[in-house]
Amino acid sequence: MTGSEPAVELDGVTRRYAETTAVKAVSLTVREGEFFTLVGPSGCGKTTTLRLLGGFDSPTAGAVRLAGENVSGVPPENRDIGIVFQNYALFPTMTVRENVAYGLNFADPPDGGSTADRVAELLDLVDLAGMGERDPTELSGGQQQRVALARALAPGPQLLLLDEPMSALDARLRERLRVQLQAIQTELGITTVYVTHDQEEALAISDRVAVMRSGRVEQVGEPRAVYRRPETRFVAAFLGDNNVLDGTVLDVTDRGDGVRATVRVDGTELVVRADDRRPVPGDRLSFCVRPEALVVDGATNTLTATVQSTEFLGETTRAHLDWGGTELLARTAVPLDGSVTLGFDPADAHVVAVE
Amino acid sequence: MTDTPDGDPATGHDQQPDDARGLVDRVERRGLSVLAVVTAAVLLVMFYYPVGTVLVEAVFVDGAATARPFLDILRDPFYLGDLAALFDGRPPADVVSDAISGGPDFGLVGFTVYQALLSTVASVTLGVPLAYVLARYEFPGRQTLRSLTILPFVLPSIMVATGFRAAFGADSPLNGVLGLVGLGPVDLLFTLEAVVIAHAFYNAPLVARVTVAAWESVDASAVETARSLGASPLRAFRDVVAPQLYPSVLMGAALSFVFTFGSFPIVLALGDAELMTVEVRVFRLVESLDYAEAAALAIVELLISLGVLYGYLRYEARQSARAREIRPLPRRRFVPDSLSVRTLLPRAGLVVYAVVALVVFVLPIASMVQASFTDTGGLTLDNYRFLLERQAEAAAFQVQPWPAVRNSLLFGAASLLVAVPMGVTVAVLTTRGYRGRKLVDAVAMAPLAVSGIVVGIGILRGLVFGIEIGPTRLVVGGVAAVVAAHAVAAYPFVVRTVAPGLERIDGTLVESARALGASRTRALVDIELPLIWPGVVAGAAFALAISMGEFSSTVVLATGTDWYTMPVAIERFIGRRLGPATAMGVVLLVVTSASFLVIDRLGGEYRDGL
Repeated sequence: MTGSEPAVELDGVTRRYAETTAVKAVSLTVREGEFFTLVGPSGCGKTTTLRLLGGFDSPTAGAVRLAGENVSGVPPENRDIGIVFQNYALFPTMTVRENVAYGLNFADPPDGGSTADRVAELLDLVDLAGMGERDPTELSGGQQQRVALARALAPGPQLLLLDEPMSALDARLRERLRVQLQAIQTELGITTVYVTHDQEEALAISDRVAVMRSGRVEQVGEPRAVYRRPETRFVAAFLGDNNVLDGTVLDVTDRGDGVRATVRVDGTELVVRADDRRPVPGDRLSFCVRPEALVVDGATNTLTATVQSTEFLGETTRAHLDWGGTELLARTAVPLDGSVTLGFDPADAHVVAVE
Repeated sequence: MTDTPDGDPATGHDQQPDDARGLVDRVERRGLSVLAVVTAAVLLVMFYYPVGTVLVEAVFVDGAATARPFLDILRDPFYLGDLAALFDGRPPADVVSDAISGGPDFGLVGFTVYQALLSTVASVTLGVPLAYVLARYEFPGRQTLRSLTILPFVLPSIMVATGFRAAFGADSPLNGVLGLVGLGPVDLLFTLEAVVIAHAFYNAPLVARVTVAAWESVDASAVETARSLGASPLRAFRDVVAPQLYPSVLMGAALSFVFTFGSFPIVLALGDAELMTVEVRVFRLVESLDYAEAAALAIVELLISLGVLYGYLRYEARQSARAREIRPLPRRRFVPDSLSVRTLLPRAGLVVYAVVALVVFVLPIASMVQASFTDTGGLTLDNYRFLLERQAEAAAFQVQPWPAVRNSLLFGAASLLVAVPMGVTVAVLTTRGYRGRKLVDAVAMAPLAVSGIVVGIGILRGLVFGIEIGPTRLVVGGVAAVVAAHAVAAYPFVVRTVAPGLERIDGTLVESARALGASRTRALVDIELPLIWPGVVAGAAFALAISMGEFSSTVVLATGTDWYTMPVAIERFIGRRLGPATAMGVVLLVVTSASFLVIDRLGGEYRDGL
């Protein structure tokens, strides 16, 4: 380990099966100690990517490098990884302690102590001290999940792989475990690759996320950046609620506070910030506006729409609006009703790639 | 709530009394209870009462209770060898030292145990590699092969014995092949080897089936986790896969032992006079009308079988049942992607195994068919001509082919009609949770453990000879007796094919149906039966095959009557010459297969159960 190399590097990795191609020329790097999340709908190739990292599957083309070393042909047992599966995969014929101790058959405890101490330390870390002699089947789902995490961490792997580890748990437990997992990951500083289909979870827990779709990576970045500045229509719609609108560019201006494009959408002229892409009049242009950016009686970009239905979400209320045949979402503190006039600041609009 | 026809939701449908519907409702609500009572009654009259009379016969001699028949058996060196001295009051130490100095002899019971152990070892040795192939490799015809593993279990044993005679005799085609390469000849007839191989023919597929099921329920994630933690593929197999296979292999072994311990037609036909097991001895005693000794010996046999089963069930109870979501291990392609020692070695082993499997599983049946069309002079139809001549001009006491076929079909159809409803009822009763369910399960499954000979004697002595109920005498004659014996032997297999499906059904389905107003019976008919239909069809096919192949109790009940079946006819022919027996065997094979196909077509897609 030199430390200068990325912990994980995928270089043009493709995995083709007889009928389908699960991963298409994916290139990614994960930094040392980073919590990196692959997020996308089911079938997007995120789990296959994880299995390629673990050595449970081999790429059809491209290279997988762990700590700078090409691991093609290296079996899982020689990759220095820990993995936690969605269904926990606890060994049913072993006790909790035997499960956690299993990896220590093949590697000495990283701190140089005894196996028993290491197991106790790990069970303590995941709040399961004293549960060692239980049968895994006696434990609740959340407890089983933590045993699986302790087991994966016990030999002190360089890389932790998590395959939808919380999707079988209920929402409240999931949130609690999420916080716990993040704390453990920060404490140990272990490079972690996390796979989930839950965008909220991905944004909450990660240092960086990669949004995947149909075997390709659509965008990589820090959660805030990806959420605020999605590059594609898919990312804009996948991460949180969004309004994506399409129109034709009429005019482009730059008055020092950024590039502004005037776009005609269904006969209405709207002004949007267009710093990232410099459109020219006549272009087709797509942009997104978050529901919370639509404000009642806004000064610019006013639209008049009819409220179709509302959902009470606690602090805010989400309204489904009909704006001349286009569906819009708004999220306001005061519930909307009937016909409303909304507007948004051009700076809150974000231009995405046209599809 | 359902809307009422008059459109007034307030009144509700309960206030619309309808007598005809009420009656149907009541019958429906009671349907399951009625079936349960009928099933219990049939079991009581057709199984427990007759078997009970046999047991009583062993302990009541001339109207007084006595242990004499038992003690006679236990003290007889013919049965227990050196151990018999133990029951004569000799001190154990003397017995042990005598046995060691003089070369141990464990008598008939000892030999029966010994051959069962050998057969069990052979079954496991042949069965586990088959499970490995089926669970871990992908190749064309895998599903078919998997389905075929059920076949040996339902092939009539007397027919298989005929096949083994044709396959392993001195002038068999096997010896023809061996002679060409300068080996042989191998003559296994009337040897222990032939009996053990024939037992493996039956039980190795059984071991394979239960082991494949366990192998397929191993979670690939668990194996992958072990690999990620540093275990080599072999080590991961040892630590994660193997411990999940042991219980199933052990179950297969325990069942193999119990089945081969009580084996009858195989030993009768392949052991000739040289080899005798307890069950054959019981049959010989019945033939010579020595009922008390036969009954006592049958009880000794039953106790040993039940002891093994009990020991196994105790073990099984400690294995916790789990229902988890798993991702099964991926199958490898049989033709490897790359050529290396690691990929070629196991496949080379499998090729060797395939050759052995061909000799054990395919050769006997093929040899039987071949032998039925040949004699010393080459191809011939003489054996079939013999059957026709026998049909035309048999003496009254001789067995004719056509009545045998007709009787087999008749008994098969009748057994089906009795065994399938019984089996489904017991399956429903034993998959619902309530107190005493284990007892119901044990009581209903007992026919599996009790030998056919005992059931046969019991029905003969208890029902055919008549039960005195007050002044009247209830006599269950010929056909009904045979059908009863067949149905009792067959219905546990219906239970075993139907129950797993019922257990897998999501309980909320039935609860939803009942919340919508369906009675329990109605929910069974509307929701559960369609879901488990393949299991019911498989159970029916089983029941038919068991009935068509049943030999032990049929031979007891049909001797001296016109109610002999195809297996009984084979046994009569085999005593004279092999040729006509093989021809009759082919007829049995064709009729059984054809009936199987008919059930399959009528019942929809056949899927393997058990």
